[in-house]
Amino acid sequence: MRKLKRLSVVALSSALLLAACGGGDGGATSGEESGGKSASSDGIKDGGTLYVLTNAEGVSTLDPQRVYTGAELGAWGSTFTRTLTTYKPVAGKDGTSLVADMATDTGTASDDLKTWSFTLRDGIKWEDGSDVTCADIAYGVSRTFAAEVTAGEGPMYAVSYLDIPDDEEAAFGSAYPGPWLADADQQALFDQAVSCDGKTITFKLKNPVADFNYTVGLLAFAPVPKAQDTADQYGLKPFSNGPFKVESYEEGKELVLVRNENWSKDSDEVREPHVDKIVWQFGLDEAVIDERMLADSGDDKNAIVYGGILPENLQTVFGDDTLKDRRTDGFDGFVSYTMFNVESVSCIEVRQAIWLALDREALRTAAGGPFTGEFASSFVAPLLAADYEPANLVEGLNVDGTPNTEAAIAKMTEAAEKCPEVHAKATEGLRFDHPDSETWKKNIAIWIDSLGAAGIKIIDNPIEPSKYYATINGDRGDLMRAGWAADWANASTVIPELFGDGGGFNYHNNENDPAFAAFQEKVDQAKAETDRNKQSDLWKELNQYVIDQVWSIPGSATKSQNLVGSNIRLGYQWLPFGWYNLGGIGLAG
Amino acid sequence: MFFFVIRRTAFAVVLLLIISAFTFWIFSALPADPAALTCGKNCRPEVIEANRIRLGYDKPLVDQYLGYMKGIFVGRDYGEDASSIHCPAPSLGYSYDRHECVTKLIASTLPVTASIAFGAFVLWMLIGVGLGTLAALKRGKWQDRVATAFSVIGVSFPTFFLGLLSILVFIIWTGILPFPRYEGITESPGNWFMALLLPWFVLAIVSAATYVRMTRNGMLEVMNEEFVRLGIAKGLTRRRLVVKYVMRAALVPIVTIAGLDFAFLLGGALVTESIFNLPGIGKLTLAAVVNSDLPILVATTLVSAVFIVVANAVVDILYGYLDPRVRVK
Repeated sequence: MRKLKRLSVVALSSALLLAACGGGDGGATSGEESGGKSASSDGIKDGGTLYVLTNAEGVSTLDPQRVYTGAELGAWGSTFTRTLTTYKPVAGKDGTSLVADMATDTGTASDDLKTWSFTLRDGIKWEDGSDVTCADIAYGVSRTFAAEVTAGEGPMYAVSYLDIPDDEEAAFGSAYPGPWLADADQQALFDQAVSCDGKTITFKLKNPVADFNYTVGLLAFAPVPKAQDTADQYGLKPFSNGPFKVESYEEGKELVLVRNENWSKDSDEVREPHVDKIVWQFGLDEAVIDERMLADSGDDKNAIVYGGILPENLQTVFGDDTLKDRRTDGFDGFVSYTMFNVESVSCIEVRQAIWLALDREALRTAAGGPFTGEFASSFVAPLLAADYEPANLVEGLNVDGTPNTEAAIAKMTEAAEKCPEVHAKATEGLRFDHPDSETWKKNIAIWIDSLGAAGIKIIDNPIEPSKYYATINGDRGDLMRAGWAADWANASTVIPELFGDGGGFNYHNNENDPAFAAFQEKVDQAKAETDRNKQSDLWKELNQYVIDQVWSIPGSATKSQNLVGSNIRLGYQWLPFGWYNLGGIGLAG
Repeated sequence: MFFFVIRRTAFAVVLLLIISAFTFWIFSALPADPAALTCGKNCRPEVIEANRIRLGYDKPLVDQYLGYMKGIFVGRDYGEDASSIHCPAPSLGYSYDRHECVTKLIASTLPVTASIAFGAFVLWMLIGVGLGTLAALKRGKWQDRVATAFSVIGVSFPTFFLGLLSILVFIIWTGILPFPRYEGITESPGNWFMALLLPWFVLAIVSAATYVRMTRNGMLEVMNEEFVRLGIAKGLTRRRLVVKYVMRAALVPIVTIAGLDFAFLLGGALVTESIFNLPGIGKLTLAAVVNSDLPILVATTLVSAVFIVVANAVVDILYGYLDPRVRVK
């Protein structure tokens, strides 16, 4: 799952917006906006310096095996980290189509989908002019296994997919402990799963994976030259094989990317760099960033922002049509939701009652209103165009997000007869786990109030944010809060991960639910389906199935808004990453 | 005098040892778990425990402290296997959040803070002592009222307000100054100066206000002393009297306070650095607070303490030199 930056900041400042405009009477409203002229190539000229202004003190990491933030995956991938495959760098839905990058094509799978191989193009160089080899890729992949270095910060598909024996005692449950700690035998386990034959790299998988060629597009599968690897410190100065390289990175100050002389267009059919230099400026005050972007003077004309627009300025930005060519508004790929512990809340009527009674409109208003997102009707985000289809939600649910307390009470009455034990538990108190934050202090009050009206009692259980997932991994409440974005443009990284057997993010305890076996059977079928259209239909069906079972309550499909300087060109939102194609941005004038 | 200096230095060293132990203890008592911070979202409890042992957080506090103190003198390796990281002496710890030896982080942020502190110090002494002297000499006249008004305004406005106001006025509204982007004095003296100009003035105005009052009151008090009247009676010129006798006596207490204020500023101008986005020790500390980055917090606290203790000792010694009555046996 990709991480979402700044969520708490956005939510926190939203309170100010509410105070400032007291509910939207007229003014700007949220809708799809794609950036007008700034997203086109109108008048683009090569050269110049692109600035990225941000409130953050630094990036989360530059280490390919540790990065897991959508925007950063796209930004580093388009500038200094090439992978075997990647996404087509264009605006719109086409941006989610897979293309070959370092590989000559998008991979060849064996019939059983358990062996995948890719062949490297000629002429791919590191920033020092040496060749990028198959061994560099294998070494890069092996870094994910090193719990003591990459610390499980990046995606863990290498660990869950590759055909390496399990070891329950080990940090990540794999018998291979990463390149630093492995002895010869352990290294051999990895080497048979990821092997090189000249320019061809072959991955052997435990189970069939129909879309493994998407998996290798993650930076976790990017090459790292062993001789340059500085372990925990690699993220301070990663080695480049793309059109840009890291010149300097200092947290709290700036990140400077300059052109990599050893990159050649001949070996790269994907990237088209325009600017000479990209400078990230850290630690700027958010209010000052917005002021500067609105003023649009000097170097700020060549600037984009990492972090969005303050909620209190959204009305200004989207109420002024002269900014039409500089602003974007759209989904960021995330869906928030509330999980049930299906084992402890084993009665579907109670789960339905909770959903019906919940005041979703109040929750969205507390977060900042429609600009923050739309009520989700699927666990798959709308950005995953092929796999997205709004599901039919529980009968009686109000479309405007307000609670239907009557219907909820009716469901509870039904539950009292059908499953008196769970019903009793719901009236005595259900434990709600959530990360402790200012936003959640408000949210939980809305949960308690709106469910209380239907006779359901919620017991608040805030958990220290940095320990949240580690905590619910061991001790699960009756309801738990979460959010998710697909790792690549296929719902195979959503439905099975969130609800399936062995799913990396499945906290539902739903394995013993009577409805589970049928679900898992279809998931396995979908995972191995090679016909993409058929697979899409299966994901849509499965999404509807999960919604019908109410294993989770979908919250909202979240949105983000951005404003760029007037010289920015090709500054479109790249759908797979929910941010710009950083390396492809150019300047006009 | 020699023994006075020795005694004062020895006391400072003991004080620093006590402060370091106390700092170490108080940060270990915080609920934040340093081992948990080394681990990502997919982290399993086993990984946290393994990291705890690897980083030595499982050892008794006294051992951890001794290891830390040893690192200051001989350097230290963090982690025990092939992927361990070496921080050369003086090692103040390793930040797993920033992936850097803390000493290196301090070394890169200290020049920024020192630049701020030094410029602001010079400015506020000039403004504070200058205006204060003027006010004392022109007591009751308009100059006095202006100086007093300035000090009231300066004291009343907090740094963050003056800072934001100056950014709005000089950068955003009028565009007189470009948006500051700090660069080292050796890299680009021009950018260095431009980035620090506003912070210097903001800090100077806020601090100078107090100095105006202190100087004014000090001078007035001294001017009522008998030796001043004697000087006047003996026919000394006014300039000679003020500079040589009145100021020397009036400024002694100000030197003491100025030394401490300067040392305090060296520990990081938290608010000013944040507002003007200057990558100094203050911002480093602030980010460490947000991220519960204990190694950095311990180190910045210690470094600030060193500045204060050293400044205290220097001021004491200086005071002893200026005023022999202090040098008690």
